[in-house]
Amino acid sequence: MKTLVIIPAYNEQDNLLSLIEDIRNRGYDYLVINDCSTDGTEELLKENDLNHFDLPINLGIAGVTRVGFKYAKDHDYDCAVCVDGDGQHPPKYIHDLISEIEKGNDYVVGSRFVDQKKPVTMRMLGSRLLCFLIKVKTGRSVKDPTSGMRALGKKVIGQFADSMNFYAEPDALCYLLHKGLKVKEVQVEMKEREAGVSYFHNPFKSIYYMMSVCLSILFVQ
Amino acid sequence: MSSSLRLGLLLASVLVLGLILYSIIKKYLNIKYSIVWILWALGSLLMAIFPETFYGLSDLLGIQLPVNTVFLIMTALLYALTFYVYIMISKHNEQIISLTYEVASLKKELEELKKKNER
Repeated sequence: MKTLVIIPAYNEQDNLLSLIEDIRNRGYDYLVINDCSTDGTEELLKENDLNHFDLPINLGIAGVTRVGFKYAKDHDYDCAVCVDGDGQHPPKYIHDLISEIEKGNDYVVGSRFVDQKKPVTMRMLGSRLLCFLIKVKTGRSVKDPTSGMRALGKKVIGQFADSMNFYAEPDALCYLLHKGLKVKEVQVEMKEREAGVSYFHNPFKSIYYMMSVCLSILFVQ
Repeated sequence: MSSSLRLGLLLASVLVLGLILYSIIKKYLNIKYSIVWILWALGSLLMAIFPETFYGLSDLLGIQLPVNTVFLIMTALLYALTFYVYIMISKHNEQIISLTYEVASLKKELEELKKKNER
């Protein structure tokens, strides 16, 4: 199965190299998408001759993954896996995701909470709310709707590449469940960020994100 | 509607019309997007010249002061226009993503070709 690992990267010069080394050693094709980083990410990618895109403008994570899916679609990949450039998604789980796609699933989520309990934090409260909404809308239980580590089959790659309204992971997941595609969750461990600053550092952005995603799940997908 | 309000509306419409035409001639504004603004300015011009039309409308809607009908219409139009702008933004957002993708892949291909030539 022709697989592409998509790695969105914004100011990840400290994390990136070891991550790509790891992915390369496992023999996957990869594409690093540098979302107009302001640090040395671009030079790092060039110097080490890594397969990468340098975006001319900063698109944000949703746009970056779209660009990745467009690339996967144009290069006729059967499977695309999203792995964050900050190193929080260990590449050793990529194989588990791909093998589920090979078994005929359309969309596989690397989930932190298949076997493990969800801790009680603000962020997980949000996660629970999203699980509940997805359950209400589709009748299906998911454990980790916000996970950014996921694998897409060919059908889903095409849809995600061309449609504007997959604002984030949870509503994309909800859409696929609602359409009756085969979705599977696989247990993964995620690491804390090794370096850099998360997008959700800003509370207003988090609230805005939650509102958009809830709206999207309830009315759009 | 008081005559001073009418006068104000009249002046404002004429000014706005002038500004729109000036912007088109100076190439600040695309003709395609100017039509709606011209229609708007003409509309408020008509409001200023024939305020009687609003008296009937105000009675119909149960609005006591005709000037409030003017505000209502203006607000509704503003809503519609802003919504249209948001639709355009969404469309442009999609186009920007597609263009960014194209630019990034061309850049990548170019770099690869350059490297091949150097060897």
